[in-house]
Amino acid sequence: MSDSIMNVNNLNFYYQGGVHAVKNMSLPIERNQVTALIGPSGCGKTTFLRCFNRMHDLYPGHCYEGEILFEGSNLLGRKDITELRSRIGMVFQKPTPFPMSIFDNIAYGLRLKGIKNRAELADRVEQALKQAAIWEETHDRLKQSANGLSGGQQQRLVIARALAAEPDVLLFDEPTSALDPISTGKIEELMVGLKQKVTIIIVTHNMQQAARISDHTAFMYMGELVEFDQTETIFTNPREKLTEEYVTGRFG
Amino acid sequence: MNHINEISKRKAINFFALSLAGAAAGLGLFWLIFILADVLRHGVAYITPALFLNEAAPPGLDGGGLKHAFIGQLLITLFAVLIGIPLGILGGTWLAEYGRHHSIGRLISTLSDIMISVPSIVIGTFVYAIFVKPIGHFSGFAGALALAIIMIPVVLRTTEDMMGLVPWEIREAAFALGAPYYKVILQVVYRGAATGIFTGILLAIARIAGETGPLLFTSFNNMFLTTNMNEPMPSLTVTIYQYAMGPYDDWHEMAWAASFVITLFILSLTILGRLIIRWKYKN
Repeated sequence: MSDSIMNVNNLNFYYQGGVHAVKNMSLPIERNQVTALIGPSGCGKTTFLRCFNRMHDLYPGHCYEGEILFEGSNLLGRKDITELRSRIGMVFQKPTPFPMSIFDNIAYGLRLKGIKNRAELADRVEQALKQAAIWEETHDRLKQSANGLSGGQQQRLVIARALAAEPDVLLFDEPTSALDPISTGKIEELMVGLKQKVTIIIVTHNMQQAARISDHTAFMYMGELVEFDQTETIFTNPREKLTEEYVTGRFG
Repeated sequence: MNHINEISKRKAINFFALSLAGAAAGLGLFWLIFILADVLRHGVAYITPALFLNEAAPPGLDGGGLKHAFIGQLLITLFAVLIGIPLGILGGTWLAEYGRHHSIGRLISTLSDIMISVPSIVIGTFVYAIFVKPIGHFSGFAGALALAIIMIPVVLRTTEDMMGLVPWEIREAAFALGAPYYKVILQVVYRGAATGIFTGILLAIARIAGETGPLLFTSFNNMFLTTNMNEPMPSLTVTIYQYAMGPYDDWHEMAWAASFVITLFILSLTILGRLIIRWKYKN
């Protein structure tokens, strides 16, 4: 019954200087589900996440081995990174609004794709803001600077910006760790709702968050995948002792 | 008992140090205000339409103005800005974006910091040696080049610093949407750094507008109006220097008036720059 949108096969990642940050990872990413990556700090979960949109390509000396199959081909070998990144969006730990208006923030990715028609831009900006549940708060101030929004609003704006490009996959790198509980609740609710449209991979330090919103959970330790299963199994009946110790808070 | 002594001792030292610092600040401020007030007071009296509308009269005759010097100053400054600002911004961009991981980038940054504090007359003699001497005559271009060389490190370092203030995560977010690096710089980083860079440019113009030393060796001076940048060119600062030293009373008056104009210009540029910085931090 599994329908995977991506398959990670024997993925290894090395930083400049040969630091082996991701070791021989293999797991499927299920379509329209939320996959959580958990593990102690420095275990390589963020590094792993940043392989999916080839974020490491920005820095010299990196090296990928293995493959991430996406629509039948290894995305690590693709040449057109712009196209890939418009299909696989990313949301960061700290909100990253661009220094421009709310409208221009959302339209940024669309304009990159070559959409210039004003009516179409306006329409898709509105849709994206609605999907990210921030239209109500912003529809009368689209021309104002995005820096005037609160942290939680900025994070939803950034999610809307990623959604505007109509990606298939959204990567979240600890998206709520800089936010208050109410904003966190809104973002979590949003992510669960977004499953209808996109596949979500989220790195989180918050175990309750992983338990609340994810369908599958991967537990990583020292760059290796220790256990991957249904979230319920990971949190209630894990196979590995290490997983149990981590999810119950005995280390990490 | 002992620690009460300790506190009063500290209070005494504090009072002493604070008085010294206050006196030093007061001394500096006194001369600053004295100079400004003196220039403004003497200068404003001699501001006349003729100052801006007439060219220099033959020595000893009345009715002369400094139109030639104003126009020369504007032209030299304009060309200095045209050379210095693009180079400064491009260099600063390279340092902030591409050069940040190279040791040569850090070296250039440090050298620029040193360049900022090089006495401007040294730059004048440098341009004299590499430009004026080989060509064989003074020219407006040489003056503009000297001023541009003074501007470049100022604009370069400001650009680098202001672009450095744009968080790296913002760039990554733009990359994550598929933007190529040049678009990230042009559309996102410059926008975030624009006010800061603009302020830096204003302050750099203010810095060169008052320079005399580098022009003495490069654009030299000219008693006649010229718009030919390849000829010796008059400038306000060199004219002030020459007129203030000259034997005629009306020369002295015009030197005061020109000092007034140039001081006011630099003062307003600087204040505008500061206001923009403050406004930026408020938002």
